[in-house]
Amino acid sequence: MSRPMLPHVVSGVVVAAMLSGGVAFAQRGGGARMSRGAAAGSVSRIGGGDFNRTANFNRNVDADRNVSSNVNVNRSANVNRDVNWDRDVDVNVDHHYGGWGYGCCYNPVGAAAAATAAAVTTAAVVGSVVHTLPPSCEAVSINGFTYQHCGSTWYQPQFSGSAVTYVVVNPPR
Amino acid sequence: MGRYLRTVNAFQIRTQTTRDEVLADGQNIEFGAVVDMIVARPNRLRAEVTSDKQQRLYFDDGKTFSVWARRMNYYATVPAPATLRELADTLADRYNLELPVADLFYWGDTRNTEQIRGAMDIGPSQIDGVTCEHYAFRQDGADWQVWIQQGDYPLPRKLVITTLSDPARPKFTSVMTWNLAPSFNDAAFAFVPPKDARRIMLIQAPLGRDSQ
Repeated sequence: MSRPMLPHVVSGVVVAAMLSGGVAFAQRGGGARMSRGAAAGSVSRIGGGDFNRTANFNRNVDADRNVSSNVNVNRSANVNRDVNWDRDVDVNVDHHYGGWGYGCCYNPVGAAAAATAAAVTTAAVVGSVVHTLPPSCEAVSINGFTYQHCGSTWYQPQFSGSAVTYVVVNPPR
Repeated sequence: MGRYLRTVNAFQIRTQTTRDEVLADGQNIEFGAVVDMIVARPNRLRAEVTSDKQQRLYFDDGKTFSVWARRMNYYATVPAPATLRELADTLADRYNLELPVADLFYWGDTRNTEQIRGAMDIGPSQIDGVTCEHYAFRQDGADWQVWIQQGDYPLPRKLVITTLSDPARPKFTSVMTWNLAPSFNDAAFAFVPPKDARRIMLIQAPLGRDSQ
């Protein structure tokens, strides 16, 4: 009875992964998941008429599926694909997370690269929103605002809440 | 507390926050952040939010609200309303952007108490070595608790919000450290974009949400 017990909830697979140094596996298991919402950060805007627009409920997390049936389609503040290719700094610097400064799910760089590569082969639809840019973009300033010119596609970066997203636009020039 | 907060014209707080994010299968994942904020009522604010995910600075110099993503070096500006309370409303309603610890700009307002359906005084509690009174409230959509400093300075020292609309009941916590005699000058609230910063839009929330 005095024998220390391991928590039962930890599965053998996870334990094995951790013990073998596979912590990245454990951490990034979340990358395939989506967040369905987050805790409200303010009580003053909860309740009554404010309720539905207050907290981060019903946010669509999966950025790349901008056409999901989720109500707040354009609000897909919370990002699942968070590797920002446009950064001139370290890849994990900013995860473009949700409108409230939080988000979930890491994505291994490899997976994001694969997703990006897949995306490149399809024409980007004007108006679609992504949370990462393909590689090799050129930042261009037009009429005081910034665009990213990536191959033949133009993206306009924007704050969607506190998150930075990129909407595909017609060539601005 | 609310009435007292209204009398504090300038303050600086540093708060450690945690927030649960609910995965699609209902698992809660907690993310932390630190917020440093200087406020000068009625309408000036500077807040820096540093989380595992983001680094954001928010400025209200009394005329213009700016948000700057420091690491990506994007920024956006919009006109600021007359008070921070209105700013919090405008940002949330129009831009789906929640100011950090936004409750500080609402408390002391009768509208809040209308939402409360139940209240309990739990008793004394120590937060960071300060004796507080611990209260628990219920309202539609949330249970929440606040720890208010005892004595002449009834400041909120801790806030916990449990969101009830999600069966996973994600939680937000904020533990606040106060400075009621902050030193600052006007420049603290003014955002001067770095030379290489790039301006982008702060996009408006879809109408459907706004009209609710």
